[in-house]
Amino acid sequence: MKPISIFDKIRPHFEKGGRFSRLYPFYEAIETIFYGLDHVTGQGPHVRDNLDVKRFMTIVIVVLIPHLMFGIYNTGYHARLSAGLPPDFLPVITFGFWVVMPMVIVTYAVGFFWEALFAVVRKHNISEGLFVTCMLFPLTLPPTTPLWQVAIGISFGVVIGKEVFGGTGRNFLNPALTGRAFIFFAYPAQMSGDKVWIAVSQVKDAAVDAVSGATPLAIATLVESPAQVEQVLAESGYSFSKMFWGLYPGSIGSTSTFLCLVGSLVLIVAGIASIALSWGVFLAFWLQADSSIFWLVSVPWLGWV
Amino acid sequence: MNLIRVRKGYNLKISGQPSQEMLTVNKPGKVAVVPERIPFIKPRLKVGKGDTVKIGSLLFEDKRRPFLKFLSPGGGIVDAIDFGPRRVIQKIVIRLDTDEESVDFESLSENDLDTISRHELVEKILGGGLWSFLHGLPSRDIASTDSEPPAIFVVLDDLEPFQPEPSVYLHDKDQLFVFGLKVLRRLSPRVEVFARPESVRRLKTLDGHITGRVTGRYPADDPGVLVYMTRQSSKENRTWYIRGQDVLLIAHLLKHGKYPTDRTMVIGGSAARRTGHIRVRLGMPLAAFQPFAEPGMDIRWITGGVFQGYPTGPDSYAGLYETAVTLIPEGRHREFLSFVRPGFNKPSYSRTFLSWFNGSDQPFDCNIHGGVRACIACGNCVKVCPVDILPQLTFKAVLAEAVEEYLALGLMDCVECGLCSYVCPAKIELSSVLADARRQYHQEQSQT
Repeated sequence: MKPISIFDKIRPHFEKGGRFSRLYPFYEAIETIFYGLDHVTGQGPHVRDNLDVKRFMTIVIVVLIPHLMFGIYNTGYHARLSAGLPPDFLPVITFGFWVVMPMVIVTYAVGFFWEALFAVVRKHNISEGLFVTCMLFPLTLPPTTPLWQVAIGISFGVVIGKEVFGGTGRNFLNPALTGRAFIFFAYPAQMSGDKVWIAVSQVKDAAVDAVSGATPLAIATLVESPAQVEQVLAESGYSFSKMFWGLYPGSIGSTSTFLCLVGSLVLIVAGIASIALSWGVFLAFWLQADSSIFWLVSVPWLGWV
Repeated sequence: MNLIRVRKGYNLKISGQPSQEMLTVNKPGKVAVVPERIPFIKPRLKVGKGDTVKIGSLLFEDKRRPFLKFLSPGGGIVDAIDFGPRRVIQKIVIRLDTDEESVDFESLSENDLDTISRHELVEKILGGGLWSFLHGLPSRDIASTDSEPPAIFVVLDDLEPFQPEPSVYLHDKDQLFVFGLKVLRRLSPRVEVFARPESVRRLKTLDGHITGRVTGRYPADDPGVLVYMTRQSSKENRTWYIRGQDVLLIAHLLKHGKYPTDRTMVIGGSAARRTGHIRVRLGMPLAAFQPFAEPGMDIRWITGGVFQGYPTGPDSYAGLYETAVTLIPEGRHREFLSFVRPGFNKPSYSRTFLSWFNGSDQPFDCNIHGGVRACIACGNCVKVCPVDILPQLTFKAVLAEAVEEYLALGLMDCVECGLCSYVCPAKIELSSVLADARRQYHQEQSQT
């Protein structure tokens, strides 16, 4: 029996007139993961590009996987270091895995629940954009975030950031970052960002006090002149190369500048991300950091852009 | 000679390019007119089943503009008149006699062309049933007989896959073509002839007559794109255009006083066993192309190119404007894990498949390659649109019926090339949404 025949057998139940026809978006999402559709064009243009939203979004997820893996390693590394244990590779990965993966799984489960619910009620297809949102969201969180906050954050992101506007493509907010912003304001004690987040290995009763400290951004704001930033950061243990490669405490997927650059480059070359949008934000940020350049350069340029 | 360089657009790396070879088909037993595929007209029948017709006898006229006449491409007996839903006339089939009779029209010499008044000339083309080959921008409706256009653009090439080569259809016909240009010059003070540099090189005898060279990707040589690239004032938006091959038809009518019956078509596409150019009758039965189709394959028959053609089948006939038969596989198959395959043989506008490194032409099929989703504002349609409208915003404005907004976005500049629908990863029918809105807007305008 070919695997497609399983789908052929159960599809009628989900199509119009079937017992579960209301759940069709849910069914379509599952089936099209395995098999491409056999729909053909009815009118010109008779041929269509091979790229679809599923592949479009899959590529973003693929680009995020190195971040996830590095995040797992980084989380475990700092946890063991602060607990006074040697950062051996295997225990580091195991510990990081047990901290990060529950967050990812909770995000996907809760996010998919909301998307499927809205898809069934609002009768739209389940968009693959959700899977990107659910991958991005845990990567923006500190590894110490409790799972219930993860669930609430992604719920807010998907429902308020996206679904209330009609779903993917009709939202004007990025759902992952909307969720992140929500829990930043809702739970400032855990999220405010002025303390370093390290998921401490609880097995050996390590001292929690040993791991709190200012984040690089918090240190940078205390410096009097911009020229000193790099030096002061280096003195606090955040050398340029450390900040670039990413082996320092922080949100799971955000520490490695290197991986961010590689991911950005891949997405731009593949034509998925817009260089004007993504690098424009970075550029504006950088120009603003040096206010003299900002006023000289950015204002006349606003008319150009 | 002006060089017009069009920067946007997109060329498909599609296999099945027709060869230069001239193929032959037998004289058909029947020919037909297909009113269904003549946009903007409502036919009023002037013949009945069983009537005897000559080449050039009146078959039907347009209800709204009765001076637009459509004549018989063959002599014989009206064999069948097929009606579709709501009694739309699908086709009028004529069984040909062995000796076909032909209606005589008055012929014109080169000198007559200088002396005849513009009005008389228009009447002659109308009476000969060939006015419908002149189109007016921006609507692309059949040109209005009331006004003189700012210019007439003659386009020799067509970058849409696949269309006849000018050097093939103009072979030994340059005299006739020049005569046709002379006719057009009586209709408008400015006549421009556009061709690709490659064609200009092959058409040495017409060197002095070609006024513009066009380089760029499909649809660079579309008359709408050419107007968009060259216009100096808004008046030029009302430019007329005619395809190079249709100039020959009008010239034939006026020079010889007979309704033309022949034209050059191409057969191409990856589901065609043999490709090439064919000299055929107007209204040729597509069954005559059956021997060129790959046997035992689920094939999409397209009259016209892969972007703008109509879906038909071997039981249909070539329409008035159609110069190509394209055969490509239907592609009704379900591919396992299709969205994660490396895709060395999957052509794409994006660079998300390994086909990016594959320079060779690939067979295309009619599969949509994905599910319909909401617009994710990826901007691919903006990157390909040759006339710089923002299709992703325009189609939303059309669906929201925000008339002023979609006109401001440039809906009437749209050339209906179909590239936006082609590249859309959300599989939205952008092009047909825009084309329908254009047609509706034009109809509302022409009623008032």
